[in-house]
Amino acid sequence: MTNRQARVFAIASTLIAALIFLILTLDSHRQFGELTNAENITPEVTRGKDVWHKYNCINCHTLFGEGAYYAPDLTKITKHRGEAYLTAYMRDPSKFYDEQTHRRLMPTQDLSEEEISDLIAFLDWVSNVDNQGWPPRPIMVTGAAVPTEFVADTDEASAAPAGDTTPVTAEDDPRAQGEYVYQTASPACTACHSTQPGVDMAGPTLAGLVTRAQAIIAAESYPGEAQDVEGYIRESIVAPSAYLVPGDMYSAGGTSFMPQGYGESLTEEQIDQLVAYLATLK
Amino acid sequence: MRYKSQSVAYWYFAVAMVLFGLQLVFGLLSATKYLGPDPLLYILPFDVTKVIHTNLLIVWVLTGFMGATYWMIPDESRTELHSVKLAYLQLILWTLMGVSAIIGYLFRYGTGNKLLEQPLPHKIVIVICMLIFLYNIGMTIKKSGRFTTTEGVLLIGLVSSAVLFFPALLYYENYTVSIFYRWWTIHLWVEGVWMMIMGAFLAYLLIRLSGADREVMEKWLYVIVGLVFIAGILGTAHHYYWVGVPQYWLPIGGLFSALEPAALAGMAIYAYSAMRRSGLAHPNSLALHWTVGSAVFALFGAGLLGLAHTFPAVNKWTHGTLITAMHGHAAFYGAYAMIILAMITYTLPKMTYGRSEKGSSLGYWAFWLQISGMFGMTLSFATAGLGQVYLERIMGMGYLDAQLKIQVHFLMLIATGALFALGVALFIYDFFRHRPRFEADDEPVEDAPVKTRDS
Repeated sequence: MTNRQARVFAIASTLIAALIFLILTLDSHRQFGELTNAENITPEVTRGKDVWHKYNCINCHTLFGEGAYYAPDLTKITKHRGEAYLTAYMRDPSKFYDEQTHRRLMPTQDLSEEEISDLIAFLDWVSNVDNQGWPPRPIMVTGAAVPTEFVADTDEASAAPAGDTTPVTAEDDPRAQGEYVYQTASPACTACHSTQPGVDMAGPTLAGLVTRAQAIIAAESYPGEAQDVEGYIRESIVAPSAYLVPGDMYSAGGTSFMPQGYGESLTEEQIDQLVAYLATLK
Repeated sequence: MRYKSQSVAYWYFAVAMVLFGLQLVFGLLSATKYLGPDPLLYILPFDVTKVIHTNLLIVWVLTGFMGATYWMIPDESRTELHSVKLAYLQLILWTLMGVSAIIGYLFRYGTGNKLLEQPLPHKIVIVICMLIFLYNIGMTIKKSGRFTTTEGVLLIGLVSSAVLFFPALLYYENYTVSIFYRWWTIHLWVEGVWMMIMGAFLAYLLIRLSGADREVMEKWLYVIVGLVFIAGILGTAHHYYWVGVPQYWLPIGGLFSALEPAALAGMAIYAYSAMRRSGLAHPNSLALHWTVGSAVFALFGAGLLGLAHTFPAVNKWTHGTLITAMHGHAAFYGAYAMIILAMITYTLPKMTYGRSEKGSSLGYWAFWLQISGMFGMTLSFATAGLGQVYLERIMGMGYLDAQLKIQVHFLMLIATGALFALGVALFIYDFFRHRPRFEADDEPVEDAPVKTRDS
């Protein structure tokens, strides 16, 4: 190879690579709107993005997996945590996590109420961007839960029936079906609840649920309408605020942080199954 | 030093050294926060120490590039710099920009946009500094009329760096689009045009240190530049995984970034064979250590560790974990920190009194401590990252709980980071302990004379 040939190689390969790159960039611009639901970028979302930047969030957290690696990824956070929870969390994170336990704590950012709701709107927009299904299984903030469905590839998981370990056909025991609902409802119960004794995540542990439910409905101060354990569990799913578990990390102003929409997103049959499953947690 | 104006490089290097030292202070501080709890939570939280750590890196590396260029251009073009005054003016503006940005970050004055946190006024000053710089270099070459290939590669690298900074000045409504263009600046810098700059310094140093034939070295420099760009430009796609861009970027990223090690292997072979041919005959063998070390460490950090998580099927599990920190530290250190330390080590005996051309034992300690420290840090991030991927991403353990399980790797990170910092402290001490000297010598005009094994 002569010096001249080497130079031609350098220039030609650079130009060809740059040309392909530019063409793909143009094509990406054609698709950005659809992939990112650009029509949903409301002024609120834009202000929320400014809040995200103003408070330097990306130098601890990641979004789309980009940022620093010192705090949890927030790409899908609004799929795991309701607005009421996130609002209360951003007012004072120390009410939710203990620095001595986790050795890390988010400093209180002194956000205004408007900044908080804008930020949540932005994060919610982020959570709906089509990013090839990443993360392949949910990234949790705390706790340890392994819903079998997510161990498989997302594509396969959504197409095929759930993994071998969770029976979910109509002939199966309703309690087994309920366990499947527990793992696959949206948002999944496992995102906030553990069934291990003493493991309180964003929601309280469900270990010993039956025993506690009996004590709660027997107490005079119980404000709800349930007559029995099954009734109490059902009430907790469809009307989470009917009875509030004590603690600043679970509710504020008489409203539970638990998502309110299960009454609609789950079928009556699924709720029956879920109750049957949860009623096994003595 | 053959030309008096080359001495401006000394002050650029001096500023770079101070900023390098500061970068480590904030790096070590950030590392201790991984262990926690953090007594500085409300004074100097992680986001602040981290943004200062990465920004100082960018600023000192660029300062080093500028200093090294002001040294190399007169040597290659055989003339004094066009304007020493402009060079100093540029350095003052640049340093003020860097220092005030850092102070601003302490008070959360920044854009909060990863790696491009500099506020707009600072970004404008960066552009002004770059323009002064390019004008000064361009005029120097024009005046002399001698323009070597090595210079050409360097100059194209510098001009492209300035051009690629422009997308960073714009405002993007859509967060995904802003990510898309962030990497036009950052990725195309570090895996594109900065590689040209590194390649040019490498060629310059190898020609001087090993006495390798210029014709041959420059031919291979072209080949390396070609390889860098084939892989680097389309390799930008590996930053487009999972961020809301079209699907086709996934296979493109996998394919082209897998080619990146080829360019880096080319560079390492290039450096090693030049050294073999000369048999380390140049007295400044410490500079040769840094030069060959840079090429080899870049192959390891940028090439192999990048390859380790660049395929989409792997990256979907490792994306956004400490695996990225593993690659980032080794890559930046090998490719950019070390090539600047090589230029400094090569030029320093010519710019200071009483310094042995061979390098001091202190200098060798600095080299080996840094190499082992950085290698240990890379392994710490790697082991921490592997633990994180398996516990958090695959087993489904919560982020905070998984981080608690990998504490031991953070201890190792701090220990090896301290070793690295010691190496850097020795390098900085060695830099400043000899008084600078600003007279030109009557060195021969040919490329530095070198004893070879045959002669």
